[in-house]
Amino acid sequence: MDSVQDNPQPYWNPYWAGFGLGLVLLSAFVIMGRGLGASGAFTTATAAAVHAVAPAHAESNSFYAEYLGDGTRSPLKDWLVFEVLGVFAGGFLSAALGHRLRFFIEKGPQIASGPRLALAFTGGAMMAVGAKIALGCTSGQALTGGALLNVGSWAFMLGVFGGAYAVAYFFRKQWR
Amino acid sequence: MYAPFYKYGMFGDEVSLIVAFVIGIGFGFFLERAGFGSARKLAAQFYFTDMAVLKVMFTAIITAMTGLYLLARVGFVDLSMVYLVPTFVVPQIVGGLLLGVGFVIGGYCPGTSCVSAASGRVDGMVYIAGMFAGLLVFGEISRPLEGFLYSTPLGQVTLPAFFHLPYGVLVLAVVLMALVAFAVAEWAEKKTTGTAPDAEGSLTAMPWRLTPVRRLAGAFAVAGVLAVVLGNPYRGNTVEVDTRDLALGAARAQPLAPAKLADWIIQGRNDFTLVDLRTPASYGTYHIPGAQNVPLASLTADVAPRNQTLVLCTDDGAEAAQAWFLLKAEGFRSVYLLAGGLNGWRDQVLYPKAGPETSANDVARLSQVAQYFGGTPQTGVASAAAPPMPVLAPPVAPPIAPAGGTAGPKKKKEGC
Amino acid sequence: MTELTYTRHNPLIDPIFHVWEWQIPVYLFLGGLVGGLMIIAGIRLLVLRPNRREALVCCTLGPLIGLAALSLGMFSLFLDLGHKLHVWRLYTTFQVTSPMSWGSWILLLVYPALAANALAHLPEAIPALASRFPALVKISDFILARPRLVLFAGLTNTALGAALGIYTGILLSTLGGRPLWNSAVLGPLFLFSGLSTAAALLHGILVLTMPSGERPAFADFLLSALARMTQARPLDPAAAPILASADNSFLTVEVSLLGLFLLGHVTSTAVHHRAAGLLLTGPYAAPFWVLVVGLGIAMPLLLQTLELAHRIRHTLAPSLLVMFGGFALRVILVSAGQASRWFEALN
Repeated sequence: MDSVQDNPQPYWNPYWAGFGLGLVLLSAFVIMGRGLGASGAFTTATAAAVHAVAPAHAESNSFYAEYLGDGTRSPLKDWLVFEVLGVFAGGFLSAALGHRLRFFIEKGPQIASGPRLALAFTGGAMMAVGAKIALGCTSGQALTGGALLNVGSWAFMLGVFGGAYAVAYFFRKQWR
Repeated sequence: MYAPFYKYGMFGDEVSLIVAFVIGIGFGFFLERAGFGSARKLAAQFYFTDMAVLKVMFTAIITAMTGLYLLARVGFVDLSMVYLVPTFVVPQIVGGLLLGVGFVIGGYCPGTSCVSAASGRVDGMVYIAGMFAGLLVFGEISRPLEGFLYSTPLGQVTLPAFFHLPYGVLVLAVVLMALVAFAVAEWAEKKTTGTAPDAEGSLTAMPWRLTPVRRLAGAFAVAGVLAVVLGNPYRGNTVEVDTRDLALGAARAQPLAPAKLADWIIQGRNDFTLVDLRTPASYGTYHIPGAQNVPLASLTADVAPRNQTLVLCTDDGAEAAQAWFLLKAEGFRSVYLLAGGLNGWRDQVLYPKAGPETSANDVARLSQVAQYFGGTPQTGVASAAAPPMPVLAPPVAPPIAPAGGTAGPKKKKEGC
Repeated sequence: MTELTYTRHNPLIDPIFHVWEWQIPVYLFLGGLVGGLMIIAGIRLLVLRPNRREALVCCTLGPLIGLAALSLGMFSLFLDLGHKLHVWRLYTTFQVTSPMSWGSWILLLVYPALAANALAHLPEAIPALASRFPALVKISDFILARPRLVLFAGLTNTALGAALGIYTGILLSTLGGRPLWNSAVLGPLFLFSGLSTAAALLHGILVLTMPSGERPAFADFLLSALARMTQARPLDPAAAPILASADNSFLTVEVSLLGLFLLGHVTSTAVHHRAAGLLLTGPYAAPFWVLVVGLGIAMPLLLQTLELAHRIRHTLAPSLLVMFGGFALRVILVSAGQASRWFEALN
C-alpha cells in the first residue's frame, strides 16, 4: 500500500482563496445571471422529502409548495441542488488533495464531543431558519448580494457580523 | 454574444443544472482551500485570532463586483439581467442576526458545512442534520410569520439606486472599505496572537515590497477608480437594437391564450408581470386581477426587470404592437400579448361559450375558471348569438381559493 | 364474465409507456455487478497461485457477495413479473431467439459457478465457518487438488460473467419499440459498467480493511467486531492498486462505449437522434451528465488516478461513486428509453 503521509497541507492565503472564490462567483453571474447559494438546496430537499412521505401535507403547506414547483418535473431538479452536489464534490476533491480528509469531530479542547455535536445541531437549525427569514444565507445573501451591491444583502451582512460578535464571548469555550 | 448566457437563451434549463454542478465544484473547492471546512478556523473570526472569513469573503465580493462592473461596462454582460434577491429590510436584518448567532454556536454556515461534511468532519454532518430539522420546524410554523417575512419590502434595489449615487462610486467605496478592513484585520490578528504575519501573504507586514498579494490589492483599487471614471454599467439608453432581428421577430410576437393566462393566475405563478396598457378609466372599470396599469404613453423600461416575463393586455391591436416593439427594443426577453385583448379575456375566460360538442368535463372546468374570476360560462346555442354585456366589476377577492393557495403577496424563492 | 375492452382504453392496445419502475434497473445493476464479480473472480482464480492472499477478496468475498446480489436481483425481477406463479414455465423450454430465455438459463447456471469459486478458498478466508462446518474444508481441498477443475471453474466464471453482463444490455436493445435502446453497444456498455462497479466494490472492501490508521476511522469498530466473529485473515491491501487501476480501465472503456452509443444514435435516423436528445439536452440531460458522467465516471476516474499516483490516499469515495453511477446509468437509461418513441404522435 502506498504510504501517503497524513500531513495536512496548510490552507491557501485567504486573499488568493477569496480571489478564486470571486472568480467562481463572477462566472456564475456571467453564465447564469445569478449568484451562488446553499441553503435553498436544503429547503428543496426538505420539501421533496416531506412530499415523498406526506404528499397532501406538503402540497397544502405554502412554504413547501413553493419549493415543489408545478409538478411537471422533479423538485430536486433545481439549480441550487445541483450546485450543492458540486460543492460536496469540489470540497472533497480539495480536501483529498490537501491531505485533509479525516473522520473526526472538530472542537476546542475544553468541550466534550456530545455538547459540541448538540451545539452544531442547534446552530444548523438556527441558521436554516435564519436563512429562510433573510431569503438567503452567507453564500446567497452576503457573498452574492454583496457583489451585486444589493441593499438587503448589506443589511443582512451587518446582522450576521453583529449577531456573531455579540454572542461570541458566551461560546468561547467551544472553540478555544 | 451577450451575457448572462442563460438569460439570453444560449442553453436551457437542463444544461443550466449541469453548469450548476460545475460551478458548485469550483465553489466547494475554493471554500475548502480557504480552510472554510474547519469550524475552528471559521469561528476564529469572531475572536479576532484568524480573520480569514472576512478576508476571503470580501476579496471574493470585490473580485466579483469589480469584474462584473467591468464586463457590464464594456457591454458584455447585461447587468439588469443578473437576478437580485428582493430586499425586505427588517426580516433580512433579523435573519442575519439569527444566522450570526447560529454561526458562533454551530461553527458553520450552510455552504461551509457541506465542505466540512465532505472532508469527513462529523460535526459538519450533524450541522446539516440540524439544518433539516430547522427547516422541518420552520415549514410548519412559517404561515403565521408570513406577514413579517414580507414586511418592509423595498423590491429589487441596489445600493447605488437606494442612495442615488453613481454605481461606480459605490464600487470604489466598497473596494476601499474592504482594503481598510483587511488592514484592520491584520492588525487585530497581530494583537491577539502576538505573532507577525508572514510577509508574503500579508498586505501590511514589513518590509515593504510589492508582493503578489499587494499587486492584487492594487489592481482592485485601480478597478475601483476606473469604475468612478467610466460611469454607468447598465445598458440603459445606449442599448444596441438588432433591428433585423427585431423586425423578423415581430411576426412571431408571442400571443398568450386567455385560458393560459387564467391558469397562470389561478396557479399563483409569480414569475410574470401583467401590464394593462389601457387608460386608467378603462382600467378602473375592469381589469384582470393582478394587472398593473401602465398606459402606453408612460411605458418605459422601468416597468419591470428585463428578465421578467411580461404579459401585455389592451383592446387596441396597434397599441399592443407598439408596446411590444418598445419593450423588445429595450431588451426584454419574453413579452407576451394577451390574444384578443380584454375582449378575448371576456369571451374565453369570463363568459366562455360551451357549445353542444363541449364535453361535460370541459364545461365543468370552464365554469370553475370563470367563477374564479367572477364570470359564468354561457351554454346553449341561443345565447351564443347575442352575448350579454358582462358586468365587469373587478373582483376584490377571489371567490374560490386557488388550488395551491399561493396567490398571496409576491414571493420569490430566495437566491440562496 | 369477463368483459373485454377492445377499444383504445385497453392498455394492451395502447401501450402504457412507463411500465418499468425500480425493479428492472435494480435487477440490471445487480446483474451487471454479479457479471463483473464473476469475471474478476474467474480471472483471479486462473492466474493466481492458490493460497495467495489477494485471492481472498476477489475469489471468496466477491463470489459470496455475488451470490447475495444475484438473489436480490432475481427477487426484484420476480417482483416485476406480471404473472408471478408462471415463473417456472421459463425453465420448461429454451428459445434460441429469446433473450429472456437465455437470461433465465444463464441465471440458473451462474449459481453453481459462483458457489464453486467461493468455496475454493472459503476455509482460509473465514476460518470460523470452516471450523464449524468441516465439509467446507473437504470441498475446498477437493477443488484445489484438481487443477483441471480450477481451470474449468475459472473459465466458466469468466465466460458466464461476460454473458450475464452483456445479456443485461441485450435485454434492452432487443426491445425494438424503444428507439433509445436500439443499439448493439448497450451489451458491452453494461458489461463494462458492471465490471467497473464490481472492481469498485472490491476496492471499497479493501479500503475499509486497510491497516488501522490508514483506513477510515469509522470502519475500526465494525471491522474489529467482524474480524473477531469470523477469525478472518486480514486482506492483502496489495490488491487495492490493481483493482483501482483495473477500475480506471473499465471506466475508460465504459465512457468510450457511452460516447459510441450516443454517437451512433445522433448519426442515425431522426427518431434515434431525437431519442439521444433525451440524454444530451432533453429532460434526462442533467441527471445523466451530472450523476452518471460527472459523479459516476469522471470524478472516480480522477480520484483513482490521483490515488494511483500517490497524490491522495485511498478512500471509499471512488468505489461508492462508481457503484452509484452504475446504478444511475441503468435507472436513467431504462427511464429515458421508455420515454423514447418512434412516433411523436403517440406522445
